[in-house]
Amino acid sequence: MAHITINQYLQQVYEAIDNHDGSFCAELLSFKHPHVANPRLQLSSPEERCQQVLEVPYDEMVAAHLRAFQSHKEENWALPVMFSVTLDLRIFANNAEQQLLKRGKGKQGDMLEKAAEQLMSCFRVCASDNRAGIDDSKKWGMLFLINQLFKIYFKINKLHLCKPLIRAIDSSNLKDDYSMAQRVTYKYYVGRKAMFDSDYKPAEEYLSFSFQHCYRSSQRNKRMILIYLLPVKMLLGHMPTHQLLRKYDLMQFADVTKAVSEGNLLLLNEALAKHETFFIRCGIFLILEKLKIITYRNLFKKVYQLLKTHQLPLDAFLVALKMMQLDDVDIDEVQCILANLICEGHIKGYISHQHQKLVVSKANPFPLLSSSS
Amino acid sequence: MVKEYCRPAAGKDSTRPCDLRPPTVLRKTVFYLIDHIATSPALQPWTDVYDFVFDRLRSVRQDMIIQRVSGTDCVAILERTVRFLIYASYRLCGEPLRIYNPVINDTHLQESMSWLLDCYKGGQHPNQDQFQALSLLYNLGSGRATQHTMELPERIRSSSAVQLALSVSRAFMERNPVRLLRLARRLDFLQSCALHRHLQACRTDLLLLYSHGHNCKNCRFPVHNLAHLLALDTQLTIQLCQAHGVNIQGDFVVFSKSSFTEPEVGKLQCPVFHELVERKQHGLTIDNILHGHD
Repeated sequence: MAHITINQYLQQVYEAIDNHDGSFCAELLSFKHPHVANPRLQLSSPEERCQQVLEVPYDEMVAAHLRAFQSHKEENWALPVMFSVTLDLRIFANNAEQQLLKRGKGKQGDMLEKAAEQLMSCFRVCASDNRAGIDDSKKWGMLFLINQLFKIYFKINKLHLCKPLIRAIDSSNLKDDYSMAQRVTYKYYVGRKAMFDSDYKPAEEYLSFSFQHCYRSSQRNKRMILIYLLPVKMLLGHMPTHQLLRKYDLMQFADVTKAVSEGNLLLLNEALAKHETFFIRCGIFLILEKLKIITYRNLFKKVYQLLKTHQLPLDAFLVALKMMQLDDVDIDEVQCILANLICEGHIKGYISHQHQKLVVSKANPFPLLSSSS
Repeated sequence: MVKEYCRPAAGKDSTRPCDLRPPTVLRKTVFYLIDHIATSPALQPWTDVYDFVFDRLRSVRQDMIIQRVSGTDCVAILERTVRFLIYASYRLCGEPLRIYNPVINDTHLQESMSWLLDCYKGGQHPNQDQFQALSLLYNLGSGRATQHTMELPERIRSSSAVQLALSVSRAFMERNPVRLLRLARRLDFLQSCALHRHLQACRTDLLLLYSHGHNCKNCRFPVHNLAHLLALDTQLTIQLCQAHGVNIQGDFVVFSKSSFTEPEVGKLQCPVFHELVERKQHGLTIDNILHGHD
């Protein structure tokens, strides 16, 4: 296979198409396959010999591919070919962009956006295939394309473009029948999107699904899912174990976890500062900052446990915050933070301004985090 | 050279070289618009001035797009455009819709702002920290704007303007309006203009939080304390409380979570509450503001 001639190669492509052998054809068109290393296929002007089979500009390749694709009415055996070509397209666009940027040419996102346009036209063909029966429908190609598009939209920071794609899947009757690998990827991105929209409950559901069904040996993917699942879980009051963090090499979260559960604002700020670059790169710094509210709750709960009374002087909270080196905080802000915690349901009670006290409920004044909100 | 904005249409050639102004001329146009039109006391009312300048600046951007202008001229033009649109968003706030449309102003502002921030990616620009701060304040609470700010190079991110803007943004994220309004006092005039569209919501949130936090029949909260937290005078504080269904008894506020209501749309006139921003304009001419001189 690795040392065949150009004619043999073209013959194979022809036969693969003739036999409707989608996966083999996909291999022949994939740039991940070993035949690309075959020197006998690397001709300086292959156009005459194979007319756009290899080494053509990728957008034309997909356009050409697309024309071929559309002609397959009420058939879907060629879907693996499209998967392979579109995957290459995205990877090429990414590489092309990086090379252009290195030479100081082009704007960030340009190449990827062009790739996304081509992917979208494939998507439209698939999504509008209403005539074929379920088994022959090109709709089976939708989720794969959506996942490729998600990868691009997340990279170029255009999350709002994901919305119509999500709607298309939500209204699809195939949504639970796609391959598990595709569904895992899909839920991972939808979960991340929900997280950025501050919809933590659904985010937890999607990401948990993705984590639980992710192929056991794909440690790297599981780690990627955890990077987003952990902050969401923590916001909802579930702290990860040390063991889990170690297993997936996510010790950056260790101090954050410790700080939040202990109510240690000082440690939290230090931990966030220490791994700032990592958290920012993953896009979770802002979510982790939201853990402050829970850290306040845990700190204030400690104050309550120490004082063992239901009428807590506001000064005590101020002292606690000063201990955490929040030097510019005053009693007005303490009231505001407490009001916030009460409003969010993290503390049951009320503030008495006249007496400068927080009066907490006798029963369960600090409800479990996982039960509130 | 001032040119009216003209919508691109089919069959119309907008790329004729004789109709296009080169970057240096565009720059002069913008300076002329600011120095002789936007700041002229002879031209009244300012709503007409806004209409005119808004349109001519738009045509400047159109010429820039056709020629793909970039570099320092582009930055100088966009910086003044952004300042003008931010200032207008404050000054014309509350004007009737036919005179000033905040949505259109916002669209143009966002467009110019993101173009400007793109320009900053190449080379050094002395005002970059100011505009990064303005962008964050104007887009307070937007995950995208905050993430963008976090990803800035350390040199810009650690500047005092960006640090202050980040503190304001953090106070917003933590839902701490007391802190937010306190930090708002430290902003300069243009920064306050950028933040101004969020102030009303921030005060509403403060009243909501306090209605829950101080929810007890026997509790009293002094009006003048609340006024201080809201950065308003007592009179306006009472007006604001009444609009939110918060009860006042003499010099005290009685918070109750069941009586708090979101104010009716259009009931509160934002310009009435402008004092926090207004007092910072003291001693500044429009010329100073738009050119960025203190």
